[in-house]
Amino acid sequence: MCNFRNLFAGLVLTFISSSILAEGRAGYYGYGKPATPTEIAGWDIDIRADGQGLPPGSGSVEDGEVIYEAKCAECHGSFGEGVGQFPVLAGGTGTLNAQRPLKTVGSYWAHTSTLWDYIRRAMPFMQPESLESDEVYALVAYVLYLNDLVDYDYVMTQDNFTDIQLANREHFVPDPRPDVHNTRCMENCKNAEDIKIVSIVRRPEPAPAEIAVAAESKPHAGEKIYNQYCVICHKAGVAGAPKKGDAKEWNTRLEAGMAVVTEHALKGYTGKSGVMPAKGGFMQLTDEEVRQAVQYLVEPNK
Amino acid sequence: MTHDKQKSGQVPDNEMSGSTVARRKVLLGGLGLMGGAAAGVLGMTPAVSAASNLPPNIPEWTRVLGSGVLTNPYGQPSPFESNVQRRTVDWLTPDRVASISFTPLADLKGIITPSGLVFERYHAGIPEVDPHQHRLMIHGMVDRPISLTMSDLMRFPSTSRIAFLECPANGGMEWRGAQMDGVQFTHGMLACCEWTGVLLSTLLAEVGVAKQASWILAEGADGAHMSRSIPMEKAMDDALIVYAQNGEALRPEQGYPVRLINPGWEGNTCVKWLRRLEVGDQPWYQREETSKYTDLMPDGNAREFTFVQECNSVITSPAPEKPLKHGKGKYWVEGLAWSGRGRIKHVDVSYDGGVTFREAKITSIVLPRALTRFGIELDWDGSPMLLQSRAVDETGYVQPTYQQLRDVRGTNSIYHKNAIHTWKVFPTGEVANVQLS
Repeated sequence: MCNFRNLFAGLVLTFISSSILAEGRAGYYGYGKPATPTEIAGWDIDIRADGQGLPPGSGSVEDGEVIYEAKCAECHGSFGEGVGQFPVLAGGTGTLNAQRPLKTVGSYWAHTSTLWDYIRRAMPFMQPESLESDEVYALVAYVLYLNDLVDYDYVMTQDNFTDIQLANREHFVPDPRPDVHNTRCMENCKNAEDIKIVSIVRRPEPAPAEIAVAAESKPHAGEKIYNQYCVICHKAGVAGAPKKGDAKEWNTRLEAGMAVVTEHALKGYTGKSGVMPAKGGFMQLTDEEVRQAVQYLVEPNK
Repeated sequence: MTHDKQKSGQVPDNEMSGSTVARRKVLLGGLGLMGGAAAGVLGMTPAVSAASNLPPNIPEWTRVLGSGVLTNPYGQPSPFESNVQRRTVDWLTPDRVASISFTPLADLKGIITPSGLVFERYHAGIPEVDPHQHRLMIHGMVDRPISLTMSDLMRFPSTSRIAFLECPANGGMEWRGAQMDGVQFTHGMLACCEWTGVLLSTLLAEVGVAKQASWILAEGADGAHMSRSIPMEKAMDDALIVYAQNGEALRPEQGYPVRLINPGWEGNTCVKWLRRLEVGDQPWYQREETSKYTDLMPDGNAREFTFVQECNSVITSPAPEKPLKHGKGKYWVEGLAWSGRGRIKHVDVSYDGGVTFREAKITSIVLPRALTRFGIELDWDGSPMLLQSRAVDETGYVQPTYQQLRDVRGTNSIYHKNAIHTWKVFPTGEVANVQLS
């Protein structure tokens, strides 16, 4: 609801309702305050399939490529192939009825608006709602390009936005449930001889020695910080981050000494394999918390 | 940690002999050291000091004074219960910020899930929302767009109801075969709480909804701005804008200070840290209702807006976490049943993999769209068993078999797996997760 016509209409309506009708038309309880057009505009970030809500702007595949490489590729891969378990964005066309479907923007998503909306609302993962409108247009254009849906010279604007139709949009169907019907049989419901176990998972029995060890070892002070923050990159090795437990990678870095490694974590560092933002980008962490997390991170896995 | 608090508050300021204090310190200090595995260790190899606490001896704790009021201003479970925890499965997600943890169903009783044990699901972590600076905005196709503070919201007529909350992906790892080694992981994206708040219909009446309006977008204040489109019928029926859970403010993990609860529907629609409700005349097709939370069928089509959590049940004891430990003899077999369409009508239990069923007793209050507990007495002869439960809800819907589900939906739909679940019990009493032909 951010385009000018709607905003104008909203302004007029709100003006009327707040200045002339507010007293007479307040709700039954009258609690709270009228939400002003400015307040609404600041939070109303959704885009509908018909383009309603799109802000003015434009972005090219070419610009999108630069932004994507800087802000998206570390998790989604340069070709949209996904790093580690982070989402794959491109490919998979024709796999939806296969044994192992690959659900991507190109193969599965129904609406371009979802891509625009989601990039603005939630991406990049570590800095949600940090992108300008033109950057979002450019990134949407680039992800479409990664899926062979537009050419490299394509420029997306709010006017041509609805021209792009995603191929899978006709393949979403309403919920037909209840679609599976069992009956309440109580006796001789099947032949006992026909019953075979086709898969089984047994719980590993912990040896008493293991329990004792687990009981005595205190959790590392940095473990919680690691699991909450550092794990995002250091588990899968995003953006060239050395993985936890990768002794070879860590030993190379530790040759410079723990103080240097910690300093890089605190202040940020650009190396051969990648970039470490200061405190991983989580500036709310204290220096001591970062130190503890680094100590935990460089420990060899047990 | 609980243990530390107990230690610091353990010693009353007079009337205790030095030797008694010393003994208590040893006992409690030992517990603190054992930490997370205290219960397990004590269960397996009783500590030497424990024997002297058994009859005819007088237990240590009976001969001393206990700690006083306010030892724990906010009470915590006994340290002996420290094994009862939410757990995660690290390979499911790339990190713990957009991840899930599971409710320890095997250790819970009754139908209410303690707030601190309700499974967690975040898309951008738990935001630290300051309730004084939080606003719930309602706008769109309404006569009077409003912005509510938390205290505004709490002035509206309040209502409470008990309802289950279940992630639609609960059990989703098992579509192709048994994969998880405990009921915490096969069924633990499930909880049931008393939720208190304002009916969404009350708020919609307050703002005056346009006649053509048919959908509402609910959006969170977390970094993901988690958002779902909710049909107007549900909003006007029983959707609740919730600020309290089990009698106290919502936990941060559960959407503090305010969330949406759609009883009986996908947990994902119950948007946490709710900041905005926009009224419109069509769904928004958000990422979490197209790319995710849609059910892919074998023909390549996908079902959208699959809101209802259909009738389901599981035996929580015995379970892999709760083996039969006493050899042959009588056991109380129990579990949970629930249906997003209403009340549970029957639960039937089979010991032979579904050849014969007998009806279990319903042992809890029966509420629509709430967890319902069942139990049945088993006289075990020590032979292997294939334990199953099968629930029937008040609409007559009977919980299906895996085969029936897969015949229609294949194995790639991820969500809404509510098949009859089987535990194999070995002669040792050990319990394993199995699937049958």
